[in-house]
Amino acid sequence: MPMKLLKTETEKELVVKRILHTKNYSLTLDKTLCTGCEICKEICPKEAIEIKTFPKVAGEKLKHPIIDVDEQKCHFCGICSSLCPFGALKVRVDGEHVIPVVKTESFPELIREIDVDTAKCDVQCVECEKACPLELIKVSVRTPDGKEIMDTESIQDKEKLTVIVDVKKELCPCCRVCELKCPYDAIHVKKIFHGTIRINQEKCPSGCQDCLDVCPITGALYLSEDGKVYVNELYCIYCGVCKIVCPEEGALELQRTYIRHTPVHSGAWNKALEKLTSTKELTKELQTKGLTKVRESVGKRLGFGGS
Amino acid sequence: MSEEPRIGVFVCHCGLNIAGVIDVEELTEYARTLPNVVCAIRNRYTCADPGQEEIRKAIKEHKLNRVVVAACSPRMHEPTFRRCVAEAGLNPYLFEMANIREFSSWCHPSTPKEATEKAKDIVKMAVAKVRLFRPLKSMEVPVTNKALIIGGGIAGISTALDLADMGFKVYLVERSESIGGHMAQLDKTFPTLDCSICIEGPKMVDVSRHPNIEIISYANVLSVQGFVGNFRVKIRKNPRYIIAENCTGCGECRDVCPIEIPNEWDMNMGVRKAISVPFDQAVPLVYTINMDYCIECYKCVDACGARQAINFDQKPEEIELEVGTIVTATGFDIYVPDDNSLYGYGRYDNVITALELERLILAAGPTGGKVVRASDGKKPKVVIFIQCVGSRDVNKYEYCSGFCCMYSLKHSIQLKEKYKDAVEVYILYMDMRTHFKGYEEFYRRARELGVNFIRGRAVHILENPETKNLTVRAEDMALGEPIELEAELVVLATAAIPTKGTDEMARILSVTRGADGFFMESHPKLKPIDTAVDGVFLAGACQGLKDIPYSVSQGSGAASRAATILSKPTWKIEPIIAMVDPDKCRNTRVKCGICARKCPYGAIKAPEGEPAEVTTAMCHGCGTCVAECPSDAITQMHFTDAQIFAQIRAALEENPEDKILGFLCNWCSYAGADLAGTSRFEYPPNLRAVRVMCSGRVDRDFVMEALRLGAGMVLVAACHLPYDCHYISGNEAMKVRMEALARMLEKLGLSPERFRVEYVSAAEGVKFADLNKEMAEQMKSLGKGKIKAENEKLRPMLEKMLSRKKA
Ligand SMILES: Cc1cc2nc3c(=O)[nH]c(=O)nc-3n(C[C@H](O)[C@H](O)[C@H](O)COP(=O)(O)OP(=O)(O)OC[C@H]3O[C@@H](n4cnc5c(N)ncnc54)[C@H](O)[C@@H]3O)c2cc1C
Ligand code: SF4
Ligand code: SF4
Repeated sequence: MPMKLLKTETEKELVVKRILHTKNYSLTLDKTLCTGCEICKEICPKEAIEIKTFPKVAGEKLKHPIIDVDEQKCHFCGICSSLCPFGALKVRVDGEHVIPVVKTESFPELIREIDVDTAKCDVQCVECEKACPLELIKVSVRTPDGKEIMDTESIQDKEKLTVIVDVKKELCPCCRVCELKCPYDAIHVKKIFHGTIRINQEKCPSGCQDCLDVCPITGALYLSEDGKVYVNELYCIYCGVCKIVCPEEGALELQRTYIRHTPVHSGAWNKALEKLTSTKELTKELQTKGLTKVRESVGKRLGFGGS
Repeated sequence: MSEEPRIGVFVCHCGLNIAGVIDVEELTEYARTLPNVVCAIRNRYTCADPGQEEIRKAIKEHKLNRVVVAACSPRMHEPTFRRCVAEAGLNPYLFEMANIREFSSWCHPSTPKEATEKAKDIVKMAVAKVRLFRPLKSMEVPVTNKALIIGGGIAGISTALDLADMGFKVYLVERSESIGGHMAQLDKTFPTLDCSICIEGPKMVDVSRHPNIEIISYANVLSVQGFVGNFRVKIRKNPRYIIAENCTGCGECRDVCPIEIPNEWDMNMGVRKAISVPFDQAVPLVYTINMDYCIECYKCVDACGARQAINFDQKPEEIELEVGTIVTATGFDIYVPDDNSLYGYGRYDNVITALELERLILAAGPTGGKVVRASDGKKPKVVIFIQCVGSRDVNKYEYCSGFCCMYSLKHSIQLKEKYKDAVEVYILYMDMRTHFKGYEEFYRRARELGVNFIRGRAVHILENPETKNLTVRAEDMALGEPIELEAELVVLATAAIPTKGTDEMARILSVTRGADGFFMESHPKLKPIDTAVDGVFLAGACQGLKDIPYSVSQGSGAASRAATILSKPTWKIEPIIAMVDPDKCRNTRVKCGICARKCPYGAIKAPEGEPAEVTTAMCHGCGTCVAECPSDAITQMHFTDAQIFAQIRAALEENPEDKILGFLCNWCSYAGADLAGTSRFEYPPNLRAVRVMCSGRVDRDFVMEALRLGAGMVLVAACHLPYDCHYISGNEAMKVRMEALARMLEKLGLSPERFRVEYVSAAEGVKFADLNKEMAEQMKSLGKGKIKAENEKLRPMLEKMLSRKKA
């Protein structure tokens, strides 16, 4: 059978496939998770990903962009999948979920550090569950014999109950909203992406709140009384979808400076890091790692430093 | 001319080939009456020993100083007779052939009277030309005793090893990563079923170890310049991103590379890594990074470590080689039938090509030798082979691909031997072609193993969407009725076609291609390995489809043909070159240099204020410059203006209005006319042909002279544009020149159909015959009266224009 490169799309999913006689590969985009933030597009080494934006409809909230994958260009390396903060992309080889580049340590994974000390939790508290903008947290309460209790009010011996906070970690972009909302200091989240975001109010046209419309994290951007949008850096995950939709050149500035990731030795990562942050941040990381050889080769390519 | 010409004419019967149509006695008598002819002799076979002896005798006896042989095509026997007259002490260039077989007896069998009249004209033209011949000395050029072989399949490998063993330096250029060609993709080989790579692998290794062979793989030939004995070849080595000398072939880089890519070598059925070799036995065993897929993670760089064989900065590199001969062994490709909706290839998972089956059944292939279906990974219980997919199909490829019957037999035997009764095998065929040694026995073996043979063409395949099984509808020729078979796997024996880039290679080498697209040999029977370009030879499937034993034989044949040149310190080339008369050249007075601009080989230099000069070793003798020169300062030896004028005048002495005067280029149109003759296509006998080496030689004056003399029609026939010209672009120059002339003649009142420029390839015998029929028809409907009247009107103007040509 000749090789087939296919693409199918439904309301919820976009799937590209490469089917060989003896092996098949697929990349699935869960459209319900994708925010259209462009991180995957930036780092795809084969430029297989494009962003589709939607036009604004008067009187409606602006729809966030969505990505499209070119089945002719995708080589199923899994780079997009390993770096998607929302876990929206999955590569499968012969039906099994793998990330080829992670398997060979050719690319890092994001580090999602979410610590919950349920000992501190109040059995009746569901603040984090309520706070999570992506609805990734499920709080449950169990008896010592593992029975789930729906109605905690009626239970006498509250000390014996355990609280379980179940976070869908692989889909979590680590916005820290839960941490900041937790009344008992029971949950600690470290951000994946660090950076800066700024809205130049003089350039920002009043009445436009496109960025706010598309921001996946409630509270990271907010509308102030003056009718303008302001930033709450505490919550921002630096995904950058706001920057894509912002209609005013220079009104919104976003710069990533650091990404928490598992350690690797990889040219592909250096390139990705450079694209997502900046050449400066890349050299910083290389210096701390002391990777002279890689630095040289990157330097040669970029025309700086090196030997 | 110092001595009076004494011409002998030798008329050949060619058994009954000529004498059966032409009245040879009358022709011989006629020849005797021609000026300067001192003897005319008939012979049953002039080319045979007694015939040649007769010529030699007559030269002595009659003190002949010119010889005409009226027999077959000069493309066939001119060298034979040149040698013959030379043996009798005559300069070989004082000889001319009158082609009365291909141009008369063979193409006009039902009009013997007209055929005889035509033969008389042909002889008359030859005599007129030979009278003006001058003795010429062939030129010697030094030979670089190195060979270039293009294509490292089994044919090219065979040529390389033979030449290298003879002691010649060989460059073997292969465009893929490894040599081996298709044979390296095969599992077993018919008819003995030995493992393909086990017998080819050692040869590949021999090539890589041979001190006289340099493999230049992953490379393309960009250009070829020069001529026999002295070719200069430009080659681009494509970057592998690996430093070949440092790569040990260990494969540690491959193991760490994250990227799996479809393996073209496996017909994209299996995968390889972005850094890999196409197969384990690859030669040279040097890894390659496929940059289309590589993500530049540099894991391979780490794995390679101190060997430092990986270099991401590698750039394409151009090199130049000097060689004496070139052997082309570029092989074939298979037709991928995804445009054939009837058989559902590409649409139905379980329809595959034979080459795909070859990879499936191979133990080292992507399934480890298990023949499984793409739809469910299961072993098929019923397999149907469909023959002639694309081959022997007038709508696709008219020819027979030659080896498909045999490989389908091979596959069916392999399946039967591997899976015994667990698999049922059918072959749907048109004809089983099993000639050659051991092949018919192989067919019997398949029958004995219980393979079912059904004679008929499959018309349609339908897929059951659930089971993915296939219903094959066919016409059973034995029963004469339609049948339906249910298969779990269908294997298509698809046509083999000229490999990608054959057109470009043909252009680079100035080699022609046949109607089927494969390279054209110099003569289908007697020069099957030579091309029309001296020093360029063919081997293997690129010349026409052939199996392995035949490709190997031809490879060795090409080695020996090449060695005939390489083994000599110098090589004689024909002295039919151009020469400038410095006194006539106007470049000394005005800025001209037209010849220098028009020469396809850059063989002429015309520095300002000085007469133009031809570099003889670079001149290929097309004569384009001669026809272009505005002051008639250039002469082509053996094809001088005076000689061609003499031919034209001889041809049109009688009844010119009934005749078509044709100028045919040696390589395509004249060969096409020869083919019309050899194929016995009959056409009306109006044509009188003047052979020139290249249509670029056809001077405007020739056409005007023919019309001045009253020719019914004039034809200039050339190789096809844009690339077929044997002299790169002579036909291009002719086209420009003739289009301008046609416009002028039309203005002067010539009916446009009376002057035609046509393009006929060496393979287009039919086209040539049809063209003659059409022109004769048009001439008839114009009518002699009209032609004469037009000629009367034209003549004064033409006479004025030709006044300087008055002989
Ligand atoms: C399915 C199948 C099964 C077969 N089974 C058998 C069998 O069992 N027994 C048998 O005798 N025959 C078999 N054959 C036929 C056999 O494959 C051919 O006879 C043989 O491969 C011809 O060898 P070749 O060297 O002429 O051409 P190829 O094998 O095609 O080799 C040509 C080489 O030239 C290279 N090349 C092409 N163009 C260029 C260029 N421009 N520059 C540089 N290099 C170039 C190619 O990369 C290739 O390496 C089979 C064929 C098929 C399709
Ligand atoms: S750099 Fe390219 S070839 Fe090397 S291991 Fe990474 S993907 Fe493979
Ligand atoms: S144009 Fe032809 S004949 Fe004239 S010099 Fe060039 S190659 Fe020779």
